[in-house]
Formats: sequence, C-alpha cells, structure tokens
Amino acid sequence: MGDATSTDTTTVIGPVRLSVPPEPSMSRVARLASSGMASLVGCTVDEIEDLKIAVSEVLIALIEHGDGGRVDLEFEFVGRGASADGALDDRPAFVVRGSSPVEHLDLSHPDLLLCRTVLDGVCAAHAIELVDGAACIVASVACSATD
Amino acid sequence: MTGPMNDDSLTIDLDDGGAIVVHGDIDMAGGPVLEAAILQHESDADRGQLVIDLEDVSFIDSSGLRSLLGASRRARGRGGDVVLRSVGPEVARLLEITGTTSQFVIASHRG
Repeated sequence: MGDATSTDTTTVIGPVRLSVPPEPSMSRVARLASSGMASLVGCTVDEIEDLKIAVSEVLIALIEHGDGGRVDLEFEFVGRGASADGALDDRPAFVVRGSSPVEHLDLSHPDLLLCRTVLDGVCAAHAIELVDGAACIVASVACSATD
Repeated sequence: MTGPMNDDSLTIDLDDGGAIVVHGDIDMAGGPVLEAAILQHESDADRGQLVIDLEDVSFIDSSGLRSLLGASRRARGRGGDVVLRSVGPEVARLLEITGTTSQFVIASHRG
C-alpha cells in the first residue's frame, strides 16, 4: 500500500516509480510495467490497452518536448474517491504521472495537440502544466476493477 | 528497399505485391523506422498509391500515427492514397479518436 493522494482516495496498488532516460525505447518499458500493474488489479483488456496508449502519450510529450533530461514516471491504481490532483472523478482509475525538466512548453505545438487529442480519447481525465521548470502530466484511465 | 528494416520492436519488409508489411509496435521508437521505410519506398517506386499491411501491428500511438499521416499527405500530393490493409482494433481506435480515418483508404480489417 503506497501513499494515498488524499484522505478520500484509497491506493490499491502503488505508487510504482520509474526514472528513465529520454529515449524512445523506454516507451515500451513503461508500457510493460504499467500493463503488468493493471493486470494485477483486474483491469480489462480494453482498459489495459487504453492505459498503454496513455503511458506512451505521456512519454511522447515529455521526451519529444522536454529538454533531454530524465523522465520520472509514477503509476498508481486508486480506488473510488476524488484525487487530490483533481484528475479523477468517483471511479477507480489507474493514474499515470510523468515529469521532466523543460524551460518552455509549447502546448499549441501540432504534435503535442495530437498527443492531447489521443489522451482525450483514452483517459477519464488528463492535465499537463509547467511547474517549477518541469513539464508535469497526469493522466487517469478509468478501470472497472474494484478496490 | 534492399532488405528488412529493424528496430527492437519493429520490423518492416515488402511483400510480393509491393506492400509495406509492418511487424511490431508503431510507437516513438518504431514510428521513425516506419517513416524511413515509407520514404525509401516512395523514392524507389514513385507510386501514387502506397499499401501498408498492419496485420502484425498490435500497438500504435500518436508518434506512429504521424508517420502514417505524413505518408497520406505525400500520397495525396501525388494524386494517390495510403491504403491500410488488415487494420486491427488498436489502429482503428486511434484513427477514430483522432478523427483521421478519412485520411486513409481502409482496405480490410482484422480481429
């Protein structure tokens, strides 16, 4: 049992943290790690597919639009209840958080817009912002597994 | 194209009919490999129509989609199309999410 993000949120598994070099091949590593966790908690095949896409899009945003620093990832399955970061509604979800150093983030870049469009399609909620010199992304994929 | 092009997670070759056959994940690592293969095929063949077989593709993300969209844009510029063959549910879903299905001719689905 890891850290809960708020008193209303039950963390069922995680958080699991990865720190990866900003290399495209790391996308596959992160997908495997996250899908393994999701299968442990009973997410469906379709939910796992959505999670893999979400993880991949988070990495695309941070690697292709970052400054070349390491990418920190955190995976967590949370039970029902509102998340402190505002990314969840009242359903259980698999939460992906990613961050990487960046001085400037062009949210209107066409590639990043495409990335966010995909996140819109597979996530219950997602957000990207620049915080203290780092691009920070939170993406939550709804999961029917019960906590 | 003189031989198969490879990445750890992606392999590309040509079938007897000249279609580009993709095996593996079209992700941030594989997308550039696919794009290079498509560009080489375009320069070799100068075809208006490009056929890409996705029978063995079970994952695609926006970076992979960009490779396909670039090919579509160039093909249309030549008066042709990109024809996607054996499109699986993963690829179909991404095309639907991004509203880009109409950028391609879908010859067949699988799964």
